[in-house]
Amino acid sequence: MFEHVLSVMIFLPIVAGLILLLTPAGKGLARLTGLVISFASLILGLDIFFKFKEQAALQFVENVPWIPSFGINYHLGLDGISLFVLLAGAVLMPMVYLLFTTKEKGYYANLLIVQGAMAGALCAADMVLFYIFWEIMLLPIFFMLGMYGGEKRIKATLKITIYTIAGSLLMLASIVYVGVTYHSQFGEWNFAISQMSQLQLAGPVAVLAFFGFMIAFAIKIPLFPFHTWLPDAYTEAPTATTFVLSAIMAKIGVYAVIRFVVPVFDGEFARFALLLAYSGVIGMMYCGITAIAQKDVKRMLAFSSASHMGVIALGVFCLNVQALTGSIYQIVAHATSTGVLFLFVGILEDKMKTRKIEDLGGIAYKAPVFAFFFAIAMLASVGLPGTSGFIGEFLIILGAIKFNVLIGVLAGTTLIIGVCYMLWMFQRVFYETTNERTEGFTDLSITEGLTFLPVIVLIVIMGLYPQPFLSKIEPAAQQHIAALTKADTIQIAQSTHAQPAEGHTVEKKN
Amino acid sequence: MTNDFMLLMPLILITAGAISLMLAAAYEKVTIEQAAFGCMGIFGVAFLVQLSNCITGHVAPYETVFNNMLVISNFTRVAGLIILGCGFFTAMSAQTYFKQNNFCTTEFYSLVTFSACGMLLLTMVQELISVFVALEIMSLAIYILVGYDRKNKTAAEAVMKYLMLGAFAGAFFTMGAALIYGGAHSTQFSSIGQFVAEKGFFNNPALVAGSFFVIVAFLFKAAAFPFHAWVIDVYDGASAPITGYMATGLKTAIFAVFANFLVADETLRSSWVTYLFYFSIFTMFVGNLIAIGQDTLKRMLAASGIVHTGYLLIALVAVSAENFSGNVILYYLAAYAVGTLGIFAALSYLGGDGEKRQSFDDFKGLARVRPFSAAAITIFLLSMAGIPPTAGFMGKFFIITSAIDAGQIALAVFGIISSILSMWYYLRLVINMYFHEATDSFEDTTSNRYAPVGTFILAACVFVIGLYPVII
Repeated sequence: MFEHVLSVMIFLPIVAGLILLLTPAGKGLARLTGLVISFASLILGLDIFFKFKEQAALQFVENVPWIPSFGINYHLGLDGISLFVLLAGAVLMPMVYLLFTTKEKGYYANLLIVQGAMAGALCAADMVLFYIFWEIMLLPIFFMLGMYGGEKRIKATLKITIYTIAGSLLMLASIVYVGVTYHSQFGEWNFAISQMSQLQLAGPVAVLAFFGFMIAFAIKIPLFPFHTWLPDAYTEAPTATTFVLSAIMAKIGVYAVIRFVVPVFDGEFARFALLLAYSGVIGMMYCGITAIAQKDVKRMLAFSSASHMGVIALGVFCLNVQALTGSIYQIVAHATSTGVLFLFVGILEDKMKTRKIEDLGGIAYKAPVFAFFFAIAMLASVGLPGTSGFIGEFLIILGAIKFNVLIGVLAGTTLIIGVCYMLWMFQRVFYETTNERTEGFTDLSITEGLTFLPVIVLIVIMGLYPQPFLSKIEPAAQQHIAALTKADTIQIAQSTHAQPAEGHTVEKKN
Repeated sequence: MTNDFMLLMPLILITAGAISLMLAAAYEKVTIEQAAFGCMGIFGVAFLVQLSNCITGHVAPYETVFNNMLVISNFTRVAGLIILGCGFFTAMSAQTYFKQNNFCTTEFYSLVTFSACGMLLLTMVQELISVFVALEIMSLAIYILVGYDRKNKTAAEAVMKYLMLGAFAGAFFTMGAALIYGGAHSTQFSSIGQFVAEKGFFNNPALVAGSFFVIVAFLFKAAAFPFHAWVIDVYDGASAPITGYMATGLKTAIFAVFANFLVADETLRSSWVTYLFYFSIFTMFVGNLIAIGQDTLKRMLAASGIVHTGYLLIALVAVSAENFSGNVILYYLAAYAVGTLGIFAALSYLGGDGEKRQSFDDFKGLARVRPFSAAAITIFLLSMAGIPPTAGFMGKFFIITSAIDAGQIALAVFGIISSILSMWYYLRLVINMYFHEATDSFEDTTSNRYAPVGTFILAACVFVIGLYPVII
């Protein structure tokens, strides 16, 4: 449409959100603004999707110098990986404004700001710019969680905020280290992500910097030992916040691993891939098993989401094209299915005033459409063939088996756990007998039904005809893997020297 | 000679202004209000003159005036600009503050201006005796300002502590200056530098001891570990605008002269850097530990001021004598000054009569009653915590960059850990303001107030400085 389409996608929501906050606008106006702007973003996103060429290079590039003395630029661009995360956000965000009509002004304004900031983090092609958007992304979440959350919101807010900021600051140190190394190796300041792959990083400090990045992203994803903030935050947050956190923000963590860690720290990444892959698998199993035991639907979905993020992250750590493509595909699939599930739970909570599984039952008899939509999203989430979840998970497992048979087998069998908790929950909530509370459950209204319909259709389409999506992802995935395997061969060539140190470091980390 | 006077124009303006304010204070007709406006006007004009000096920059980047007594460079100009800005906003906050607290007399503003003279002079001096004179001009005025509320016990305690310890620091400095003169046969920084370059540093015990005493005095004034203990009580006892002024203007002046002294010679600098490294780490962590335990806002901000001194010491460790520009230090000082002044300006009008709102709990629910003030305070806190896109973030970014660039990776990592720790007490206030119901009505009875205006200008400055880091 025009040159600065990415800037518009970033700043239109942010500016609108800020204006709403600064003016005495009412709730209705705030919601309307959110709706209009999110639809505008959706249209822009679709426009970008159809104009996007199937190649690996960055597209829709904008590059304006910002702090020339440090080589920091206002540099934006999209590739096949960020495109899909961006689109997932653009497609999902309007639903929030359509479904939740009675929230406060700050609620909608914060949602707008977080939408813009997420777009910024996805489009940023400069590390400092990325960091800025990455941090701005957290602020609306902080305020929404703290102001509109459940009973234990303050504890949950502090936990997620300090956790994430700790990670981010470590990343900041790593970003600076990478930038300074570039300065010393090439004699000029530069923070462009694309330039950093030329760096020769080695030595203990490089490993530290690698972990600085990895920990920041592992917290956001969240990857196994760093997941403890997730259940509290997801459970206490208002529905829209949980939705944003699980559907989009977690995916930005995975995206950032692919975008930053893989090209810049190719050597370290290849070295620690096995450790990280195990962390993904363990997280997947652990959160899956925990999900079975949950009594609260939302908390169960939170663990389920964490478990699935483990699968997606695993796909990235397997170092081959199948798994990486599968991961990116699964990012979109999981965003749609889990996002929708959280929205359904939000509706359930609004209507029933409870999220306890034991208090519910027989909803399918009262609300067949609701149950049907819920079932499709749920089946996509567990990866039933014919839904979007299948394609991604299949590719990831395929890649995992190629990478390491044990991890592949573990990941494959763990998917069954997902079926267990999901179907069991579905049975208890939607079937069995109705009780006093669920007796009065009303089905989705036409507006609500129409809001969900496109996403439900998208889930099915992505399950039956994945080609148009895969063809856009693959070039970028191949480019990343090509860069990695090159580094890998270097590693093997040097293995006589590197091997002992490698084993030692891995041991220490365990 | 005329050129020399032109370069010193802001200093001359401020001095003349201070004297005329003092004279005007003798007339009963002059009200406190008028004195406040006079003070704001003087700082405003001086600020604009300095700004035009900075922008046009019609002189060489480094110029000595009055026979090498003073130096004018971009570094001193920008430092002067920050100090003048601090003075301006301090006068603005004080104007409102004294509508709710009634211990003010017209001399107050004259003293603020006098202390600014000392600060401006400190940024420019290149000679130990002048440093001492400037330091005392500044300190004397500040001592009086700290204890201005004579009937208040905490203020009396504050001035007592500050005066006694400050006098010690002054004595240390004089002692150090004397020893340096004995060792290097000169009090001028450049000659000392030359002497060290020619004759060496460690083989001259007088020089080592002298520079040690001088650095101790600077560390004391900058509130660095282990000379930080006075800060909490003094900042707590002083009135809110003065606390803000001390935390920003005074610190800017001290760091300017500290940096000027350290870069006099590379040997001198590198021999002290190893120790400054530890001072900086301890300053950050001790400051954080103190801040975490505080219950009142002013004490927390005082302790967080110690932490920021630690960050500035990182920048000081990372400077190099060969190619000194001091940009990073100045940028951080500017960013920190904007945030701190802003929050003290807000405290000046939100504190209420006799500063009755002091603790974290007193500010519960501020966002529900006064959303804009709460938003401004949040912006300042985020800036101090270093969250983008504020000025504080850029400052921290530049400091970490300079530290890693200078090979001080450990220091950068400690800086990062320290800022993670500091999140706790900054967020605590935000949480209190936003996530609790209001218990207080935060009424304001006064009219014609300037502190809110200052607060919002500063809040805008946080973003302007953050997004257009022109100094760098």
